[in-house]
Amino acid sequence: MDASAPSSETGGREPLPSPSTPNGGAPSPPGSRLAWLRYLALVPALIPLGVIFAIVYTISWASHLTSLPGFFSFNWAPTTNWGIGVFVVGSFMTAVPALFFSMVIGLGLAVASTTYLPRLISSLLDPFVDLLAGIPSVIYGIWGFVVIGPYFGLTLNPWLSAHLQLIPWFHATRTAPINSLGLGLPLAIFVLTLMSLPITTLLIRDSLRAVPKDLWESGLALGATRWEVLRRVAFPYSRRGIMSAAFLGFGRAFGETVAVAMLIGSTAQIPPSFYGTGYTLAAAMFELIDSAYTSAQWLSVLTEMALVLLVISLVVNIAGRRLVISLSTTEVAGV
Amino acid sequence: MAAPVASISEQLPGDVLIDRSPRTRFRLGFDRAMGWLTPLLFLVAILPILDMVYYISAKVVPTLTWNIITSTSPYQTDALGVPLTTTAYLIGLSTALAVAFGLLGGIVTAELLPERWASAARTGANLLVGTPSIIIGYLGYLAFVLYFGWGLVFLSGAVTLSFFMTPYVFRTADLAFSSIPRTIREAALGSGASPSQYIVRVGLPIAFPQILTGVFLAMAIGIGETAPLVLTMESAVLVPHSLFSPAIVLTEVIWENFQSGTPVLVLLAFQAAFLLLVIVLGLNVIVRVISARYQKRLEGLYQ
Amino acid sequence: MSGAEGAEGRTILSVDHLTVTAKGKTLLDDISIDFAPHSLTAVVGPSGCGKTTLVRSLNRMTELTPGLRVKGAVNYLGQNIYDRRVNPVLVRRRIGMVFQRPTVFPSSIYENCAFGLRLVHTEEEKVDVAVRQALTRAGLWDEVKDDLDRPALSLSGGQAQRLCIARALAVQPRVLLLDEPSSALDPGATQRLEATMEHLKEEIVMVLVTHNVGQAARVSDRVAFLHTGRLVEVGETDDILERPKDPLTQQFISGRFE
Repeated sequence: MDASAPSSETGGREPLPSPSTPNGGAPSPPGSRLAWLRYLALVPALIPLGVIFAIVYTISWASHLTSLPGFFSFNWAPTTNWGIGVFVVGSFMTAVPALFFSMVIGLGLAVASTTYLPRLISSLLDPFVDLLAGIPSVIYGIWGFVVIGPYFGLTLNPWLSAHLQLIPWFHATRTAPINSLGLGLPLAIFVLTLMSLPITTLLIRDSLRAVPKDLWESGLALGATRWEVLRRVAFPYSRRGIMSAAFLGFGRAFGETVAVAMLIGSTAQIPPSFYGTGYTLAAAMFELIDSAYTSAQWLSVLTEMALVLLVISLVVNIAGRRLVISLSTTEVAGV
Repeated sequence: MAAPVASISEQLPGDVLIDRSPRTRFRLGFDRAMGWLTPLLFLVAILPILDMVYYISAKVVPTLTWNIITSTSPYQTDALGVPLTTTAYLIGLSTALAVAFGLLGGIVTAELLPERWASAARTGANLLVGTPSIIIGYLGYLAFVLYFGWGLVFLSGAVTLSFFMTPYVFRTADLAFSSIPRTIREAALGSGASPSQYIVRVGLPIAFPQILTGVFLAMAIGIGETAPLVLTMESAVLVPHSLFSPAIVLTEVIWENFQSGTPVLVLLAFQAAFLLLVIVLGLNVIVRVISARYQKRLEGLYQ
Repeated sequence: MSGAEGAEGRTILSVDHLTVTAKGKTLLDDISIDFAPHSLTAVVGPSGCGKTTLVRSLNRMTELTPGLRVKGAVNYLGQNIYDRRVNPVLVRRRIGMVFQRPTVFPSSIYENCAFGLRLVHTEEEKVDVAVRQALTRAGLWDEVKDDLDRPALSLSGGQAQRLCIARALAVQPRVLLLDEPSSALDPGATQRLEATMEHLKEEIVMVLVTHNVGQAARVSDRVAFLHTGRLVEVGETDDILERPKDPLTQQFISGRFE
């Protein structure tokens, strides 16, 4: 199924004939006066693509200003060694668990919406999940800091640390302490989960809705419970949609900047324990930008960081978009 | 040859419809459990939203005075009029740009471009939507602040933000026009309308609600952005008097003051957060209402 | 209460004053029929007469449509399937259904067939035997025996529909409901399907919804004629088709309705 075409009801349409394309999209005969108009029409349409190219080009241009010792190392010691490894690792350490949780919860929500709840109730509850996407990240930041942080720092993290003692990295020690404000990985993961939830839920829900009614009913008619039909028929059928939910959800979590910057503790290290503070690529870029105003070397570092972030983001996005079954609902929801 | 189906005198396990075997009880029980557990997950979404709204409102509403919101004194601890007004100006300009480019681009993609170009354009829009805001902000910084030499000014912020908002308008316009039923399109063109007449007189009226939704959505997103603006604009205490003045918006107020530690400033941050929430959630609700009404209208179109 | 013992000729499935309504509108009006063992009953009637609703109420599929109210009883071996204590999942183990369009799952032929079995049995040997038997009874065995792991989606329409039948048969139902199973098939595939149905009716109770009177004539033992939710006439196929008692039946059969 062609993911980018409109529905078959309205799709497959011939482009309108325009003065430059009297044949409606077919090449104009050479010498036609207004052929250049067609190219003009292309311009506004290709602006988004142009911006992407501009981003890649400009960032690449700005990155060759000076050479950067130790860029791929894990040692971030500004002005001598520019190892961004810590940031990249931090980004993954926050985004991957956040993706995991938001996929699990998203699957549950999608299942509830499509299978277990009456249409009326699910249409009332679904918008709340979408609303999570509309909340500005700076508000997630302050809410996380003031409300959730203390709970994590004073209650949850110590509890986890005590109960998971046997697993080294999950045990906080004197050298790997728990931040009393709660800042660090757990808080960042929590908030990122909430922020990716709308995307994952929406995409999985749509994939499940796309399962043909006949197929559902056949499964039920064979004596399966609703859960069994989900597990054995609906999920396999919607595999692509579910994978796209994972990619796009990951992209969202990976690129989030402000909320993470406020909640991760802003320390250029790989967290020594699960409860430790750290940094992510996006958050670091954001908070270090002030330094760039002063020196060319800083600018170069930041540009390289931007490039890494951009490449990962684009790859994940492209992979995710290719799998999407229906784009129309995602567009309406602004995902 | 063995009878493939038991004769009626032989009893099969399923013949008794009330089945208490362990396996069946497990299957039915599991399904029932899922029927309760999965809806409960909605709390994961609902509780945070309610908590955020409640907490911020409770903290801020007692302290709010009309003066704080409307005062045009230089931005300080009891005057948010400046950031509010600046935000309005900024969003105004960004939305204008986003609508100009997004609407044009979306309609052109839906109606005028051959399939391969249309596909490329759509991919571009989708990629742009998924790009982290800080990357777009950084592009704005490199391009407008440094390369073009505008500096950390209002215009840099506005144009950067419009890059962010354009793809939302683009996709909505594209989708809206692409969903116009073929029959209507062919009827219009068949009765002699030129493409631009079709777009303006038939397409736009039909697509208008949906496009409006996209614009409001883009605005809601733009108002909530912090990073691109921090990167491209220098903070100010006054409303910008020209395109090349420094400027401050609501989200930046929160970002700057929240981490200061001074109670007065932290309160200011919360007040700004409250106003921001009201505006953004309000826009989101409007979007939803228009969407719902539009659905009904669409159903009328399709009969 | 199970009453599984008894003389041959006992009804396995019977409908007792069944009335189905939706939002005040009556879809089925006080229907009572007995389905004898080893028979195929065709349910015919003009569009909207309620034949699909009738068949779907025989295995509680009506519950998938919100707003449908069911009154009366459908008795399987003497037990009312609509009894509050009965879970629909159990009903459908013994009363299977085949739909209008072939609805094969996106897995292999073997796995499709084994679907129902895997829900209850776990022993691989039993599953294997049952799958082979089911495919044979459905008349598909010879065509697929060499490659059971092939994706089921690669089958032709007629083969896929027979796979759906095999899939339903694999769990040993006593009743098989078929809702216009050949409407998506070409004449050749339809013929093969009808041959399979004639074969199967010697073993189990079959209820066939069809809009094609000719098909009813070819494969069924009894015919039930429905009109706007009422059961107008039911009887032996030859009787109904050649000597219909009710004028509505007469009109339908001679083609004036459709």
